[in-house]
Amino acid sequence: MQETLVQVRGLSKQFKRDNGETFFAVKDVTLEIRRGEIFSLLGPNGAGKTTTISMISGLLTPTQGDALIGGNSITKNPLAAKKMLGVVPQDIALYPTLSARQNLEFFGKMHGLGGKTLNQAVDEVLDLIDLGDREKDKVDNFSGGMKRRVNIGIGMLHKPQLIYMDEPTVGIDPQNRRRILDTVLRLRDELKMTVLYTSHLMEEVQEISDRVGIIDHGQMIALGTVGELIQKVGEEDRLILKVGEQPVAEPLLRRIESEVATATRAQYERREIANGDSGALAAAEGILTVYATRGRRALPDIIRLANETGVDILSVEVREPDLEAVFLHLTGRALRD
Amino acid sequence: MQRILDIALNDLRIIFKDRSIWINLVILPIVISVAVGYANGAGFTGGSVSLRVDVFDADAGAMSAQFLDAMRAGNANLVLCPMDQTAADLCQLGEEALTAELAQTRLEDKVSLATLEIPAGFGAALARGEAVSLIYRSNEDATAPSYILQAVQSAATRLSGAQIAVQVGGQVADSLSFLQFSDDADRVAFLEEIRGRAEEGWAADLITVETVQAALDPAATQTNGGGGFAQSIPGIASMYVMFTVLPAASAFILERKNWTLQRLATLPISRAQILGGKLLARFVMGMIQYAVLFGFGALALGVTFGSQPLTMLPVMIAYTACVTALALALTTFITTDMQAQGITLFMSLTLAPLGGAWWPLEIVPEWMRVIGHISPIAWAMDAYREIIFYGGGIGDVIVPIAVLLAATAALFAIGVARFRFSK
Ligand SMILES: Nc1ncnc2c1ncn2[C@@H]1O[C@H](COP(=O)(O)OP(=O)(O)O)[C@@H](O)[C@H]1O
Ligand SMILES: [Mg+2]
Repeated sequence: MQETLVQVRGLSKQFKRDNGETFFAVKDVTLEIRRGEIFSLLGPNGAGKTTTISMISGLLTPTQGDALIGGNSITKNPLAAKKMLGVVPQDIALYPTLSARQNLEFFGKMHGLGGKTLNQAVDEVLDLIDLGDREKDKVDNFSGGMKRRVNIGIGMLHKPQLIYMDEPTVGIDPQNRRRILDTVLRLRDELKMTVLYTSHLMEEVQEISDRVGIIDHGQMIALGTVGELIQKVGEEDRLILKVGEQPVAEPLLRRIESEVATATRAQYERREIANGDSGALAAAEGILTVYATRGRRALPDIIRLANETGVDILSVEVREPDLEAVFLHLTGRALRD
Repeated sequence: MQRILDIALNDLRIIFKDRSIWINLVILPIVISVAVGYANGAGFTGGSVSLRVDVFDADAGAMSAQFLDAMRAGNANLVLCPMDQTAADLCQLGEEALTAELAQTRLEDKVSLATLEIPAGFGAALARGEAVSLIYRSNEDATAPSYILQAVQSAATRLSGAQIAVQVGGQVADSLSFLQFSDDADRVAFLEEIRGRAEEGWAADLITVETVQAALDPAATQTNGGGGFAQSIPGIASMYVMFTVLPAASAFILERKNWTLQRLATLPISRAQILGGKLLARFVMGMIQYAVLFGFGALALGVTFGSQPLTMLPVMIAYTACVTALALALTTFITTDMQAQGITLFMSLTLAPLGGAWWPLEIVPEWMRVIGHISPIAWAMDAYREIIFYGGGIGDVIVPIAVLLAATAALFAIGVARFRFSK
């Protein structure tokens, strides 16, 4: 049994909206992070991920609840708790007019590093984030990806046992994203750090996480290993069939459910695609979704039934069970909405 | 403490990265304090005072002329109008003749500091040994020593002393049998000789007159009416301390937007250390601003800052601390950079003139002087003027320093209680 490093108990945060009414951005969140694991919080924008991280890093005071970090309460003994932490905020938190090295040095000093130790730590991090040759340039002139890397570098400068990374891949090109994900894996595998990772992208969470908490509207709606979560939706594949502008009538859905042996559910959804600038209706896209165990085998039957009712299938996609499906299953909404 | 210094040094580094800081810190304040210094009368009085006295000499005799000479000898800075009028209009009379009405207006407007009336028959009465009175009018504070009145009195003493000598000498001569005057003219000539000798004697003994001149503070002499660079340097410097320190509000907003303030809050340092470091940086900026302008005033303009200039240091510290605390308090009432810049400009441009940074508060009406003291600049200027113009020491500026420190404590308490690290 692994040691528990972070213990979050009944954490809540209430905010005021502009119109004055209050609401819970985070409500009664309880979770544990074990030493040496990558724990991810997965949830759509506005789910409460950043608010949660802010509370357990000492930036925001919880409305209710507390978090113990290595046994130290973040509300009662913040300095001891924060000593164990490295934080990579979602926003790029850098002094734009200072160079990469100056930024690293300043925040290193704030962690109590100095002299040779500081120099060495800064050199190592610059190496790790691959910016050794640009260390003297001011970060204002860096690309988004480079700034993100400096932002991450500051969080791991003092080699904390625990690092929080709040959506570190947001707004980043695929190449830089890959690099960041590899860095996260190295932090766990080579440096034996514990990582709390947040994202609204299920692919990356599914790839790197040991355990995942799914959060929506401020509440934890599921928690477990990727495998455990996927089991919640069963072994069903999800078949996504695009049918364009053709209407799909209810009888076809019922026939698929009854006549295709492995199919359990069929749904039709029609989306209108507005033309970007004018807002005028450009096209409509119909999507037929069928849940079925061993979905590829069910495909020929589904296509045959569609043809019989005069519906042309334009494209087919078979999705094996994933966290997206879990989220859909639990909330009835897609993660990216 | 180390963390506080590190934070302060980092902020100073960021502030000085922007080269344009030198424009606000050095160039503009120097230009403005020189300009305001001239507007307040520097350069016109040129280092010596003209103590203008309007004189109505109804006697217009040798004796009254002697009296005026004695006055001039009593204080070299006296300008007797219209007698001492020059081509450069030292009397500020222009082409006008001096009338009683005009003299009254000049007195009210402080163009002249006093009027003196010498009655007709002044010389004749004196010669007869009779008492005569001169009429001296002034709008000076009755409790303050008057350099002019002293000159008038010393002239009166001198002349009446000489007259007594003449009378006593005449009587003595008449009673001495061996001294025979050939005629009346001979007697008058003899008496005139006594008068001359007596006057010489008085002149040699004019200790009071010497004292008057020695008592004149060189700084006070240089800045008649409280104008010039000795007013503009502390005034404009205090205003510019606001310009340098109040942008702390903008800097806090920007750091919150850049998320660096939030990042600092997640580090193992206390909030007191973070705020302390950031405020220390701004305080240092304010003190640098003071050093720049007072240094320029002393070295380039040759302004002397009273007899105990070091007394200004605690005033500078108290005032800069007060403005720093004001910046923190203001920060907690605004959310955008636009608001920050607006409030900084508004505060500086109202508190500066209100507090006497542009002109001495002595020249504004009483009620404005009272209102002006809501501005910390007014208290600082009270202290600077006490030190610079009246040679005050630390004991004379305790009150303004105490007021500034009390305001600092109050503003700081408000600021700390309301300050938020995140939006
Ligand atoms: N300081 C704040 N004041 C009011 N509402 C806030 C504040 N911070 C976040 N929120 C709201 O709380 C909810 C959760 O936000 P956040 O934690 O940033 O979500 P996430 O990081 O998952 O995208 C959102 O609805 C957001 O608008
Ligand atoms: Mg977020």
